[in-house]
Amino acid sequence: MSDPVEGARRRPVAPFVVLAVALAMGALFVVLAQSNSGQADTVQSYLLGKPAPTAVGTTLDGEPFDLARRKGSWVVLNFFDPTCVPCIEEHPELVTFSQDQAAVADGAELYTIVNRGSDDAVREFFDDNGGDWPVVSDPTGAISVNFGVAKVPETWIIDPNGVVRVRYPGTVTAEGLSTQLQSLREGGL
Amino acid sequence: MASATWKKVKGPGGWAVLAVVVVALLAVGIGRDTGTPTPEERVEAISKRLACPICDGESVFESRNNASSAIRNEIKQQVATGTASDDQIVTFIEQRYGGQVLLVPKSTGIDALVWALPAFAGVCAVAGLTVAFRRWKRAADTVPTDDDRALVAEARQEAADPDEP
Repeated sequence: MSDPVEGARRRPVAPFVVLAVALAMGALFVVLAQSNSGQADTVQSYLLGKPAPTAVGTTLDGEPFDLARRKGSWVVLNFFDPTCVPCIEEHPELVTFSQDQAAVADGAELYTIVNRGSDDAVREFFDDNGGDWPVVSDPTGAISVNFGVAKVPETWIIDPNGVVRVRYPGTVTAEGLSTQLQSLREGGL
Repeated sequence: MASATWKKVKGPGGWAVLAVVVVALLAVGIGRDTGTPTPEERVEAISKRLACPICDGESVFESRNNASSAIRNEIKQQVATGTASDDQIVTFIEQRYGGQVLLVPKSTGIDALVWALPAFAGVCAVAGLTVAFRRWKRAADTVPTDDDRALVAEARQEAADPDEP
């Protein structure tokens, strides 16, 4: 009669089971490690190269704003918050950019989109720091969501065909924006 | 008598009854009709599926920051319009803010591994335990050899007649 204990030792299954479980858990670890859970800024967006989403609102001067009606012009949208330090630091660059574009034949139209802060606070900020371009109030955040803006400042360039061309998360400079726009006008990116 | 009943319960019939009960309970749980959700319930359910895009570990439902508030407003607006399903609204937000706003991984593509691998590991573990238990049971059911029987008989005899050398 064969020794059952010896028979049991003949086919060690446990190591294979352990190996299979370890492989499965290892693969899970790799999948989770490779998933993008960070909040890193990126210039990528689902909207790039696509028609700009709906952006409708009212300016602080009470004028209606509809991005769809701005076709034919280069449009720069700057998402802004008067209490955000990078926005405050960026503002002089936008003032310079606005002046630069006013001197160009087909200069871009600059609009500020504000989703936070009272209208009075925003007016006071512009009075104190300069800037005479339209400021669009976005009280519900609909424009911000349509563009996927989570953090301000953020700037977008929309071409005369109404197509989203560039996204700038974070602060911009007047020179950088102007150079980018010129490149786009000449057919580059 | 009690032992025989217990043996029956532990046998294949008992396991079959247990399996039927588990499957029936799962079917009832999955198919439970909770009625048509109200718009508020839909907004809550959708916002709980989305992560706040600028903070860690909070859903859009819980977060009080501006970005989450704007997303909640958008969900409310789309639910009120009534043209988009919950999945379509989640996809709309995901397209704009990126895949990191999804709190529940998708069940397609490589993301499906997040669901499949733990199940696979569980099946392997149960299979391994089953093999191990059977092996232990087989070892315990070992038939005694003639030598074993002789040894037991000798021990019994000694116990019955301790004076005999």
